[in-house]
Amino acid sequence: MMKSFISGNIAIAEGAITAGMRFYAGYPITPASEIMEYLAEKLPRIGGITMQFEDEIASINAVIGASWAGVKSMTATSGPGLSLMLEALGLAVITETPAVIVDVMRAGPSTGVPTKTSQSDVMQVRHGTHGDYVIPVFAPWSAQEAYDLTIKAFNVAESLRTPVILLSDAVIAHLWESVLIADPGEVEIVSRRKPSVPPDAYLPYKPDDDLVPPMATFGEGYSVLVESLIHDERGFYKQDKATYRSLVSRIINKVLSKIDSIFEVETYYSDDYRYLLVSFGSTARSALAAVRILRKSGIKAGLLRLKTLWPLKHEILKKYCEEAEKVFVVENNAGKILYDIERVTEGDKVVPLPLLDLEIPEPKDIVDGVRKWL
Amino acid sequence: MKVEILIIGRGGQGILLLGRVIGVAASKHAGLYVTSVEAYASETRGGESRVDLIISDNPEEIDYVRVLSADIALFMYPYNLIKYSEILKKDAYVFINSTFGEEHPYRTQKVFLKPYSEIAEKNLGSSRVANMVALGHLIAKTGIQEIEHIEKAIREIISENLHEINIKALKTGLALD
Repeated sequence: MMKSFISGNIAIAEGAITAGMRFYAGYPITPASEIMEYLAEKLPRIGGITMQFEDEIASINAVIGASWAGVKSMTATSGPGLSLMLEALGLAVITETPAVIVDVMRAGPSTGVPTKTSQSDVMQVRHGTHGDYVIPVFAPWSAQEAYDLTIKAFNVAESLRTPVILLSDAVIAHLWESVLIADPGEVEIVSRRKPSVPPDAYLPYKPDDDLVPPMATFGEGYSVLVESLIHDERGFYKQDKATYRSLVSRIINKVLSKIDSIFEVETYYSDDYRYLLVSFGSTARSALAAVRILRKSGIKAGLLRLKTLWPLKHEILKKYCEEAEKVFVVENNAGKILYDIERVTEGDKVVPLPLLDLEIPEPKDIVDGVRKWL
Repeated sequence: MKVEILIIGRGGQGILLLGRVIGVAASKHAGLYVTSVEAYASETRGGESRVDLIISDNPEEIDYVRVLSADIALFMYPYNLIKYSEILKKDAYVFINSTFGEEHPYRTQKVFLKPYSEIAEKNLGSSRVANMVALGHLIAKTGIQEIEHIEKAIREIISENLHEINIKALKTGLALD
C-alpha cells in the first residue's frame, strides 16, 4: 500500500489503473476533466492509451470497441455528457460489454452550473437509456472510496459483462484526502471469463450457469458478433417473444442474482437511533456531521448511507427504516432516493429533505430540517 | 486535535498549491487525517480561490468537509474579509497579504499583516512565490506542521527546477517577525 494525498478525481483514475483499465476515451467536461488530464499523462507510461474524441458519443463508443478488443475501458463525464452517452449505454447493455462510465455530477438541467455540485443524476444513471435492464451504480463519499468503488465497478463490470456507473459529484471530484493505493496483488481484481470451448463450438451469447456468457476477444480465432438487436445465443437477430424474453430476463437477472455482492450500505450510530437520516455521496458527510450535532444535544439520530444506488436490496433498507420513528431522506437534489425509501416504509414516517444546494450542504441546514419534526 | 485552516486568494496566486503542500505534509509525512476542498471561479486568473483544510489525528472528527470554525486563516488577497469573519474562531490566527491593503475587520483574532507579494518580488525576484513566503510565516507563528515535512512536500509536488526558489521563499517567510 502507498499513501497519497490526492483528489477524488485522481483517486478514480488511480482506482481504474489498479483495476487494470488500459483504455480511456473521453471529452473533457467540468467537473470530471482531471480524470482524463491525469490519465493522459499516466496511462501511456504503463502501456495504456488515453484518447480525446470529438464528443461524448464517440468516446463511449470507443470504450465499447476497446472493451470488445479485450482491454478494460472507461470514460468519465458529467450530466450533459452522460445525456449524449445514453444511447450507447444501451448498446453496452445489450451487447453485454464490460465498461465503467463515471458521472461526476454537477448542477443541471442542461449545462446548469458547470462548476457547482449536485446529486440530481440518480434517475438518469439508473433509467436513462431505453429498454429493460439493470445497470449497477456506486456512489463514493470520500477520495478513498472513490478509489475503492472504482475497482469494485470494474470487478462487477468484468464479472457480469455489463456497463457499471460510478456516480461521483463536484465535491468528491475536488476533495483532496489521504488515499491508500494498493500494490499489485493487494486487492482482488476480476477479469472477464474467456471461452473454455474451441472456436467452432463457441456461441457468443450462450451463458454459463451464472447467466454470464464467456467473452471472446477479437483476433483470438473466435467468431464474435456484436449485435444491438434482440439476438439468440449465436448473436443472430430474432424478433420472437421467446428470444426477447430470454435475453432481456437474463440481462436483468445476471445482475440481480449477484445483488448480495453488489449492494452495500454503511451505518453510523445504528444501535439506538430513533431518527434515521438516509443519504449518499458527498451529502452523506454533511448528514453524518448533522447526526453528531443532534446526538450532542441528546437526540438519538443515526445514519444509513447507500454506497450502492442501484440495484437496491429493499429488505435491508426496510430493516433499518422500520427501527426508526422518523426517516429523513437527505439528498442534494429535488428528491430521488426518497422514492426508494418511501417504497419500503409504511405510513407517513418518511420526511423528505431535498436540499437543492449548489455547495455541499451545511450540517446546520440538515439539523434545522430534522428539528422541525421532533 | 482538530485544526481547521482557511486559505483565500486570487486565481493565479498558488492558493490550491498551498493547500496541497500542507495536505501532503500533514497526511503523508505527519501521518494525520486530512480533508481539503478546493473552490475556484471559472476564470483562469483573478477570480476568488479558496481552500478549506481540516487536519486531525482522529478520523472521527472529520465528516463535513468545509471549515465551520477556522483556527487559522490566510488571506493572500482581501476577498470578503467580513463574510469570512463568521467562520473564524475568536482567537484564530489570521495572516493577511498587506500588499493589497491593510484594512480588516478582525478585532479579537491574532492578526499578522505582511506584504507577502512585495517581499517575494523584492527578495526572490517574483511575486509568484508569495504563497510560500506566507506559508513560511504561517508555520513559524502557528507551528501546525514540522518545517521538514513542508519542505519534503514542496520537493514532491513542485517541478524540480522550481525547488530552490520555493524553499528560499519558505525560509524568507519563516524569518519574518
